[in-house]
Amino acid sequence: MKKHPRLPGFGLGVTMLVLTGIIWMYSPMAWAGTIPEGAVMVGDETCLDCHGDIGENYEKTTHGALSVLSSTQRVILCESCHGPGSAHVDAADPELILNPAKGDQFEQSPTCLSCHKDGQFDNWTFSHHNSGDVNCSSCHKVHAEHREWTQEYVLDLCYGCHAEVRAQTFLPSHHPVSEGRMNCLSCHDPHGGQTAFAMEDTGRETCFSCHPDKEGPFVYEHAPASEDCMVCHTPHGSVADNLLLANEPTLCLNCHAMHFHATIEGWDGDFAVPLDPSRNGTSTPEGWKIGMLTKCTQCHTAIHGTDAPSQAISTSGNALTR
Amino acid sequence: MKKTLSILISGLLLVLFCVSLSAGQESETEETYTVWFGGHYTDFTDYQKKVGEYMLGNEEFLPELMVDYLARGKGYILTLNGHYYDHKNFRGTLTSRVGDRFKGTFGYNSLYHREGQDMLTYMETREAGGGKILTHEVLDPGADYRVHRQEFQSEMKALLSRKNNITLMAAHRMVLQKGAEQSIGNTHCFSCHVTSQTATVDKVTHQVEASLQGDIGKNTIGYDFGYRLFESVAQPVYAWFDEARHPVNGLSGAEFDSRLIYADTALPINAYPKTEKFQHKLKTKGSLGNGEYAASAGYSRAENKGTELVSTAWSGHVNYSHPLNQKSRLIARIKGVKLDSDDLFIDLPTYREGRGPTASQRDFDFTRYSTLNRSEFDGSLELITRVNPRLTASFLLGYENISRKDYPVHDDGINTNRFSGQLKLRYRKGLTYSTSVKYRYEKTSDPFTSGRGLFEARGDTVLNPIPDGFNFVFYWQREDLRYQAITTEPTQEHIFEWNSQWRPTSKMNVSLGLKGSYDKNGDLDSLDVNHLNVQPYAALNLTPNPNWSFMAGGSFIHYKSRGPVAVALFDG
Repeated sequence: MKKHPRLPGFGLGVTMLVLTGIIWMYSPMAWAGTIPEGAVMVGDETCLDCHGDIGENYEKTTHGALSVLSSTQRVILCESCHGPGSAHVDAADPELILNPAKGDQFEQSPTCLSCHKDGQFDNWTFSHHNSGDVNCSSCHKVHAEHREWTQEYVLDLCYGCHAEVRAQTFLPSHHPVSEGRMNCLSCHDPHGGQTAFAMEDTGRETCFSCHPDKEGPFVYEHAPASEDCMVCHTPHGSVADNLLLANEPTLCLNCHAMHFHATIEGWDGDFAVPLDPSRNGTSTPEGWKIGMLTKCTQCHTAIHGTDAPSQAISTSGNALTR
Repeated sequence: MKKTLSILISGLLLVLFCVSLSAGQESETEETYTVWFGGHYTDFTDYQKKVGEYMLGNEEFLPELMVDYLARGKGYILTLNGHYYDHKNFRGTLTSRVGDRFKGTFGYNSLYHREGQDMLTYMETREAGGGKILTHEVLDPGADYRVHRQEFQSEMKALLSRKNNITLMAAHRMVLQKGAEQSIGNTHCFSCHVTSQTATVDKVTHQVEASLQGDIGKNTIGYDFGYRLFESVAQPVYAWFDEARHPVNGLSGAEFDSRLIYADTALPINAYPKTEKFQHKLKTKGSLGNGEYAASAGYSRAENKGTELVSTAWSGHVNYSHPLNQKSRLIARIKGVKLDSDDLFIDLPTYREGRGPTASQRDFDFTRYSTLNRSEFDGSLELITRVNPRLTASFLLGYENISRKDYPVHDDGINTNRFSGQLKLRYRKGLTYSTSVKYRYEKTSDPFTSGRGLFEARGDTVLNPIPDGFNFVFYWQREDLRYQAITTEPTQEHIFEWNSQWRPTSKMNVSLGLKGSYDKNGDLDSLDVNHLNVQPYAALNLTPNPNWSFMAGGSFIHYKSRGPVAVALFDG
């Protein structure tokens, strides 16, 4: 009987779904709450009667430490974000006051962005994080001490949702992320803005910000290098060398005909070059296949482009060997 | 060294500036220090020559040090943190914030990148009947190829006027790369000969960014400036290129000379041109009707200072978010880029076709039209709606066009159209639990291909007539014999992502998920292409306090690729 192939990880996937359902059922419900019409400000003192623990810690928070408001202005500090609190106080109902941290993109983002108008938030409204309901509080803890301003340190924070990327950074070829010399913010801007020191909003430019020697423009070009670095590379990790999608020569042979010298039958034994006996070696019948089908960039060294023509005229100097 | 010193001094001045600003605040300062002493040890038992690109293990105990300093007062925060792994790998960052007026950051990062040496041993063979020969030569066996990369980064942001939110940002980054790398050159006239030698690496990159923006009514306008300079100041290595001669009988002459652009000379190899790039961008954001918008228009110019080749890019984007009601909004995103690079006339020596006094001449001069020349458009429309307080849904339709002007053929480039549809659902119970599911489908016509990259027709049928006196195909004619495009880029792609988060406390996070994709291209006349990628994962993250973080997780990656591998038939 023919066995049907099963998707790898299928069993694990089912287990995960069951676990997800169990967690879903037993998780408490919470949401951002609403302010009824007519509610008025009550002032911080009233809030701190019940939420004293938050008040005690406030000066240590980023907001508290950097606050430039005068003491009189601070009277309405809590309600700057949580809205007028009279109805909440009167009814002692947690749903009668705004809790932006628990809100979605319709509730929370406008609250934070009313003060955070910095350039890095220019495109937050349109960002994939925001449209996917990953809100400010998904990553930031407003009431925590400054050192705990983010939910976790940057890497742990991102890996919380992108654990699959963490796994890729441990593959044999990777950027030095797991070594602590880079982090996610070196290439990505979680707020939807432009990557630091990248000139344009394209993938190539993000790479050029650290690899400017690959940019050119060059006299002799390699078309996929002009197209997109990801035609050949994968950024988070690879089993192939140099973050390539596949090792040479397989990757190259996906787009180029095999070097025709590879089909030549090799001599079996020692040889010397008649015109230069100092150049000599040992050949095998498979020698040409081995020599021409191991690593293309041994000869085509300038694979990202170059200004120097290759030696032979038959390729119009465009063999990227110099 | 002077540059390094100047940057260090600039950093120190920034530090002093920050400290003086901080000291000017009349308030009590609370300081917190954390010093972490540790170490690392590498065991080489059962050593299997593992790749150690960034951290080279030593079979000895080596100390490590981490420092975390925080000074906080009313209106300012000063932080310093650093990590010392060994004398080649360490980093540090100093950040100062004064109210909402000023933020300054200075960072230093040092790492070593190691590259193995390719001994070229298998580049050694001779044709069975004699003739073609391949040999190699490693001039510095055992060389240690590694590059020390140092990065200095400073950034300053100042709120000049609170009234109109006028903000000034200035940043500088310098990257120094010093060391040695393997440089390979090859000559292939009377025999193919590959030579490896050591090249000194001494590269410098400077990047400067500046930005000024402010509010006008409900709108914000701004200007961004960017500058990047890359230069390799090391002397390039030279390789010898043989005299043009017949590979067996050693005769030289016009016929062999005409096969090569240069011969019997030493020339620099693998050199890096000095490049410079400027960018200017105008941007605006604000309210429009009931919605919000953000838009920009930019221009950049990159120049290869060695050849004076220039490429330019005009780019722009407009994003608009329109609320349909209190629980739904529509987002439109449009982005466009137009890239142009100089054409270049390539003047090549005349090729001698045939032998003897009757031989004709062939001219290989050509104009190189850049593969960069193109216009790109990307637009999407996304509807986001809150189904209930726990569930949000998003539907997206997108269209992308890449119109290549000159690749693979001048004035007849590949025009790629891509349509996409996406559905995202996200369920949330406050901060405690969330799960999201995403499915995306992309349909592409005419993706990027290697034009005429595959298959060769019979020479005597395509090259009609084959030049008199010959019964074989010249190397240069092989380009004309290929007739099939080849690619691994898909025409259809399915992407699925599922992620669930459980955060019972703010110090614990459990993550489960699955990421998968399947793509294929059955439009090629030659070979079908498909890729399958499945990656389930689970992770647990505990952060009891800022000094401790515990993470455990597992992931399994299954990747299967069915792609073409082009096989050639030798008839040359």
